[in-house]
Amino acid sequence: MNIPNSSTAPNAGEYAGDEVSAIVLDPGYSTTRAGFAGEDVPKSVCPSFYGQIDKDSSSHYLFGENAIHDPLGNLQIKNPWGSDGIVENWDTATKVWEYAITSRLTGSRPSHPAKNGLNDANTNGNGESVDVDMEGLENLENTEKPLGDSPLLMTEPGWNSVKAREKYIEIAMEEWGTPAFYVQKTGVLAAFASGKASGIVIDVGASHTSITPVLDGMVLRKGVQKSPLAGNFVSNQIRLIFKQAQPEIPLTPHYLVKSKTQVDAGTPAQATYRTYDIPPLDSFRRNEEERVLTEFKESVVEVWSGNGRFSNAANEEMAARLPGRPFEMPDGWNQLFGAERYRAAEGLFDAGAALHDADNPKPKDEHTIPRLIQAAVQQVDADQRPLLLSNIVVTGGSTLLYKFNERLNNELNVIYPSTRNKLIAPGPLVERKYAAWIGGSILASLGSFHQLWISRKEYEEHGTNIVEKRCR
Amino acid sequence: MASGRDVREMLGLPGFDGPKTAPAAKRSKAAVPGKKIQGVAREVAALYGERPPPVAVYEEKKSYRAKRQSTGPAKKWVLQPFTNQARSDGLVLKHWRRKPTSLPTAQSGEDIAIDEPNSGENTDVYIEDSGEFLRYAVQPDMPTFSDEEYNMHLRSDDWSREETDYLFQMISDFAYRWPVVWDRYEYKPSSNSHLSTAQDVPDMENPLATMPYAPSKSRSVEDLKARFYDISAKLMKLRIPEVQMDADQYATYEILTKFDPVLERNRKNLAAALMNRNMDEVKEEEFLLAELQRINMAANRLDAEREELRSRLEAPVPNTQVSAGLASFTSSTALAQLFSQLFQQDRSKKRAAGGGGGGGAGPGRLSLSAADHLTNTPTSTSHGGALSGVNRRQSLAQPAIQTPVRHLSPNAELRYNVSTHERLTSGITFGADKLLKMRQAKSNVQTQKIGQALAQLGIADIISIPTARVGDAFESLITKVSKLLDVRKVREKEEGECRVLEAMKARRMSEIQGDDDDDDDDNRTRREIQDSQERESPSGNGEDDDDADADADADGDADGDVDVDAEGEEEEDEDAEGEDVESQMQQSTRQASEAMSTRATSTGHKRSASVLSQTSTKSNKRARK
Repeated sequence: MNIPNSSTAPNAGEYAGDEVSAIVLDPGYSTTRAGFAGEDVPKSVCPSFYGQIDKDSSSHYLFGENAIHDPLGNLQIKNPWGSDGIVENWDTATKVWEYAITSRLTGSRPSHPAKNGLNDANTNGNGESVDVDMEGLENLENTEKPLGDSPLLMTEPGWNSVKAREKYIEIAMEEWGTPAFYVQKTGVLAAFASGKASGIVIDVGASHTSITPVLDGMVLRKGVQKSPLAGNFVSNQIRLIFKQAQPEIPLTPHYLVKSKTQVDAGTPAQATYRTYDIPPLDSFRRNEEERVLTEFKESVVEVWSGNGRFSNAANEEMAARLPGRPFEMPDGWNQLFGAERYRAAEGLFDAGAALHDADNPKPKDEHTIPRLIQAAVQQVDADQRPLLLSNIVVTGGSTLLYKFNERLNNELNVIYPSTRNKLIAPGPLVERKYAAWIGGSILASLGSFHQLWISRKEYEEHGTNIVEKRCR
Repeated sequence: MASGRDVREMLGLPGFDGPKTAPAAKRSKAAVPGKKIQGVAREVAALYGERPPPVAVYEEKKSYRAKRQSTGPAKKWVLQPFTNQARSDGLVLKHWRRKPTSLPTAQSGEDIAIDEPNSGENTDVYIEDSGEFLRYAVQPDMPTFSDEEYNMHLRSDDWSREETDYLFQMISDFAYRWPVVWDRYEYKPSSNSHLSTAQDVPDMENPLATMPYAPSKSRSVEDLKARFYDISAKLMKLRIPEVQMDADQYATYEILTKFDPVLERNRKNLAAALMNRNMDEVKEEEFLLAELQRINMAANRLDAEREELRSRLEAPVPNTQVSAGLASFTSSTALAQLFSQLFQQDRSKKRAAGGGGGGGAGPGRLSLSAADHLTNTPTSTSHGGALSGVNRRQSLAQPAIQTPVRHLSPNAELRYNVSTHERLTSGITFGADKLLKMRQAKSNVQTQKIGQALAQLGIADIISIPTARVGDAFESLITKVSKLLDVRKVREKEEGECRVLEAMKARRMSEIQGDDDDDDDDNRTRREIQDSQERESPSGNGEDDDDADADADADGDADGDVDVDAEGEEEEDEDAEGEDVESQMQQSTRQASEAMSTRATSTGHKRSASVLSQTSTKSNKRARK
């Protein structure tokens, strides 16, 4: 009897797998996930933010977690994604993605020693950095393509434009030299990751919240909804809470603090701060602040999951009576956060309860998650609505907010009291955060999927618009 | 010492294993307890002591992990290039396969790569042709049509040829997933069709097919379906004439032709409306559903109860005997049975009519006629338990027809304390209960009277040993007592009437005498007599009530109680009337007659005689006044 163990291959008929060492690339606003298909977690998770140092008319780019948090002089942090949830800066996006692939998965191709740059004089002063110097690679004309023999499956948001999709395949084929390419919507893949071919995928990411109705593995395009009320919105709400607090709560990122001493709650911090000769730019500080806010979101912020909305007077009173949560800033300032910790995420569900000021306009009511779901379901054929509502897949890092699912469930049951609404939210953190990647990993490792790849030959024959024909 | 084993050895019987093996077996047996509980921890095993654990402990097998088969050096794997048969472009991908070895015996059965033994030498060149997943490359089955067919049959005012083709393409692309087809349906009349219309039209000879400015309308799923089904049905009919279709094909054809987009749209609107109900409506629906369920359950219960009641009560005359004709009633036993059966029906009908409100009392009363319940006949026990109520009744109603019953002689019956019954009621009754029931008559007055009579006879309230024979004796006693009571009642009535008549006679006599006396005196005496009569009349009425009671009891009519009360009231009213309008004689008589007529209709015929007599006395009185 052949019992499967770690050293035997799984039965072929068991999972219909046929792994061709395809690479799955799931780019997002906050992180870019990449890994080999067939694995259960992305091997390479890199921030989508990149560092840029402008130096005498040429720019030097830094990629990777280690590089972008290094407070170098004149360093600015940028993101290739646009505000509409579509890649804006294609050049850097390509580099970020390529970094995600080559840093952990394929490695840079060995090339001729005379040309591989190792023997060149180190001119950019970044010798201690382990990060790949893309500029150097680019300058070499005969570099091997990074994806010479790995098919590439990319994910795209549901609202991706035709132009963007064509750019995807162009990058993959021309720049990375992949033998086969496919692009699939994140919504579909997230549903696959939960084992569902049909369902509504609620993806609350960093920059955007999207609702994607999926039927039999195909996105119902008319139903796709997106809104900017997502993780970054919650961060901005926290910033507003800090700003509007009396006294204002200081937000000092880690890199500015040299040492701190214990202080009582609410009292000003007593810390010694670092100073830099050539300080990084504001965008760097903002990015670092974002890390603190992420920590705050993870440990303090809670979604109100009681009866009705948080803005009801009774609920606020009730929340004030609940035990608070302490939070300590990097500089030692600390406080117990009571009812205000519910306020940060309330705007996701209730536009009226969101804080706003000049920089952060009041969110639109139709951008709240319940209204998005309503709009998405409205665009679906009436017969399919109950089916979709019984498979609501929740994914995205921002859905990890404490009590998010309870609140979502409450809201759904208010909107659709007569259907059986079932939330499918994978418990493990990785599965929630990287659902789209995992779905892609499943898809690309299926033997039956290999007939769907767009091969290089087809690409050369039909051009970029083949992606519209094939990847529906 | 000669043990059993020795004996067996001497006799050469089986079961003897020889002296050497036996001790060995013993030793191994002694070692077993230590070995047995290997699955548990040593400390836990120690707690068991010498005795085996109460629950069987199964040794956990280590078979879940396969043993490593370390036969020879590690097998090698290679990145095997392959082409997918489902692809036409010859895309070469690589997947990991076992490196084929020259020894065919070492080949794993799962290996697909090892199709040719030669491939091991030059894997770079060899490209596997993988048809493993070819079965997943399925294309939807689409109806096709030619241009002539389209022009002849399939044209539509609403759809251009171009759009129809687009629709077919979409359906093919999305494999009949209508919601997706509808979702992605974005037909835009292509601009080149505008340009090419001029050339196309003469070719096609069909201006409608490529309408130059075909409106880009938003089509609903139903529109798309209607168009597609219409075309499919027409094509199907073209390919196979209706008469030649087999059942499956015709069913499909019917489905296709019967598609009604309006109906479908309405259905969808309803479904959407159902989904978009608010919380209150849903709650209301839930409440109503719960209520409906409750009502249904109650109705079911009520039905079951009624059914049970109906099955307990006598069914309509069993037609089997009637239909069987009179032939079955030739023998005297059969006739006797028929008689007893009819008698039973008569009785139970009366009971049912009267004691229906009493619920369970009805069947209980039926047992009065049956001689005994405690001692069941052998036949009835053999039948009764298994049969349902209806069957049992039928079987008991005609035992002679269905099963031959062995009758015991009266002596034997007495001896074995066995009694036969015409019919049995379900359940068990106690003899004491039966006796108690016999004591009770329809009215309380009667019951009291029976009780008094029994007390006079010195019969205890509770009879200690109510055997069947005692019951019989008591029953006959009770019937006698009630008869006597009836007789006494009649007697009292007669006596009362006699008194009245005598009083009348006396007055008439005095009137004859008083003619000679002066008028004043006459008036006075008449007044006196009248008073006395009026004084007398209530008692007379009371007697009438009693009479009515008695009548009712004698008849066994349960309505009696109620009717008698009503009658009493009427009479009281009448009395009052009579006093008030003494002078208006005519009117009162009319009223009396009216009352009488109503009473006559309301009460049974049986009582009408006594009522008549009663009213007649009254009318006599009034007439005299």
